[in-house]
Amino acid sequence: MDFYFGLGQLIGVHTLLGLSAYIVLLTGQVSLAQAAFFAVGAYAAAMLTVLTGWHIVPALGVGSFLGAVTACAVGFPALRVKGLMLVIATLAFGEGVRLLFFNFDYQVAKGDLKVGPLGGEGFRQIRFFPEHGWTTGEVMLFIWVFVGGVMALLWWFDRSRYGAVLRAVGEDELAAQSVGLSLTAVKVSAMTVGGAIAGLGGGLYAHYTTHIEHASFNILMATFAIAYPIVGGLRNVFGTLAAVLFVQAFLVEGLRGLGDWRNLLFGALIVLSMNLRPHGLFGRRGA
Amino acid sequence: MLDFLQTLSDGVLFGATYALIGIGFTLVFGVMHKINMAYAAASIGGAYAGLLVLKALATAPAWMVFLGAFLAGGVLGWVVYAACFHFIPLSSPLAPLMSTVGMLLLIDEVIVHLTAGMPQNYPAMFDDVMLRAGAFTLRGDLLLVFGVSLLCMIGLLALLYRTRLGLATRAVSQQAVAAQLCGIRVARVNALTFVITGLLGGVAGAMIGASVGTLSPLITMPLTVKGLIVTVIGGLGSIPGAIIAGLLVGGLENVFQLYRGVTERDLYVMLLLFAFLVFRPGGLFSRT
Repeated sequence: MDFYFGLGQLIGVHTLLGLSAYIVLLTGQVSLAQAAFFAVGAYAAAMLTVLTGWHIVPALGVGSFLGAVTACAVGFPALRVKGLMLVIATLAFGEGVRLLFFNFDYQVAKGDLKVGPLGGEGFRQIRFFPEHGWTTGEVMLFIWVFVGGVMALLWWFDRSRYGAVLRAVGEDELAAQSVGLSLTAVKVSAMTVGGAIAGLGGGLYAHYTTHIEHASFNILMATFAIAYPIVGGLRNVFGTLAAVLFVQAFLVEGLRGLGDWRNLLFGALIVLSMNLRPHGLFGRRGA
Repeated sequence: MLDFLQTLSDGVLFGATYALIGIGFTLVFGVMHKINMAYAAASIGGAYAGLLVLKALATAPAWMVFLGAFLAGGVLGWVVYAACFHFIPLSSPLAPLMSTVGMLLLIDEVIVHLTAGMPQNYPAMFDDVMLRAGAFTLRGDLLLVFGVSLLCMIGLLALLYRTRLGLATRAVSQQAVAAQLCGIRVARVNALTFVITGLLGGVAGAMIGASVGTLSPLITMPLTVKGLIVTVIGGLGSIPGAIIAGLLVGGLENVFQLYRGVTERDLYVMLLLFAFLVFRPGGLFSRT
C-alpha cells in the first residue's frame, strides 16, 4: 500500500509542477524556468525546517513566496523578449539557478553530523516527516490538500475576470492591448502565480524525497513542467492532472514491465500525441 | 598571459562546433520560425551513426567515420522534420516545440539503449600533431575541427547565396506566403532545410567526438543549451552572428574555466547570455 501512497505523493507534486506552467501557458508564454522556481522553493523550505527547525507549513509558505519573488524578478526582464526568445531566456535562467545550487554550500553542525546543502552532493537529511512520525499515507494526504487547493484556485481563476484576461493575452496580444490590458502586468502576474505554485511544489518535493540535489532540477524537469499542460491541453486544470496521471502512473509505473523500452516509448508517445492532437489530448479540436 | 592566450585559442578552435550547432538552430528558425529542440541530439545521433562505419570495417580511417556522420546527420534531419513538423499545423506554436522535445528524449534513449549507456571512443585525426611557437601550442586535432567546421560554413554560405535552392530558402525565410505564390514549394524547402542543418549537425557531432575523444549521450543537453545560447547571442536567424557567437562562447567558456573552475564555468556563460538579452536582445549584429 505504501507503494501506492508514494506514487500518490509523486503524482501530487508533479501536478503542482504542471499547474505552475499551466497558468503561464494560458498567457501564451512558454517558460522553461519552472524547474528553477521549484528548486528555489525546495531549497528554501528544506533549509527552514532542517536548519532552523520551523514547522513545515510556514516553511512551505516561505518557499512558495520566494518562488513567486524569483518568478516576478525573472518576469520583468525576460518578458521583454517574446515567443521563442523567451523559451531560450527562461531555459538559460533555469540552468543558471541549477548551477547556483551546484555551487551553493551552507552547512551547520547539528548534533554530531553536519546538515545543509553541500554543492554537488546535494542536501541530505531533510527528515521533517520521519522525525514527526508522519506515515506515508498522511504525507500523501498532506500533499493532496495543497494540490486540491491550487486546482480549486486555478479553476476559480479560469472562471473569473482574471482568467478571461489571461486567455485574452494568450489568444491575441494586439487585441488584448487594444482593449486596454497591460501585457507586462498580465504576463508578470501569471509568471508570479506560477512561481508561487512551483515553489510550493518544490517544498513538498524536498520533504517527501528527503534528499535534493541540483541535478534533479535540470532541463528535463523543466520540460516535464510544460509537457503536462501541453500534452493534457489548456482547456482546464484537469487536462494537466490527466497528463500527469498518463505519464507518471501509466507510462512510468504501469509499463514498468517493459523495462528499458519504456523510456524509448515515452519520447515516441509525446511525438505521436503531438502529431495526432496538436492542441493536447483534451484540448480543443481543429486548428 | 600565455595561459590566457593558450586557453582562449583552444576554446575558440573548439567553439567552431558550437558555431555549427548555432547555425543549425538559427537556419531552421529563419526558415520556419520554429525551434528544433531535437537538433543537438540529432547531431550527436549522427556522430554515433558514423561509428557504424567502424563496426562494418574495423580498419576504416577516421575521415570515413566523419563522412558517415555527415550523411547520417542529414538522414536524421529529415526524420526529425517528418516526425515533428510535417504533419503539425504551423498555426500551433506549442506542438512542434513539444514534439521536438519528445524527439530529443527519444534519440537520447535510443543511443543509451544501443550502447548500453557506455561512452564510446571516437576516432580523431592529427591528434599526434602539435604546432609550437615557443611555449604556445596548437593541437592538431583541434585545428582539424576548426578547419572542417570552417569548410562546412563556407559550403553552407555558397549553397545559400549561389544556388537556386539557396535563393528559394532565403525567399521562404523572408516571406513564406509570397514565396509560395512565386511557385516555390514551401514544404519541400522546409524539409531540405532540415536535411542541410542535419548534415551540418552530423559534422558538428563528429568533430565534438573527435576533439573530446569519446561520445556520450550525456552531452546532448548541455550542447542543446550552448547551441541555443549561441543562437541568441548571434541574433535569431543570423548566420554570421551564429558563427561569431559560437567562437566567442567557446573561447570565453574556456577562459572562465581557467579562472573560476569547471563547476562555475557555465554560470558565467549564462550571465553573458543575460547581458545580451537585456542590452542587445537582437544579438551581436542587430541594428537597433
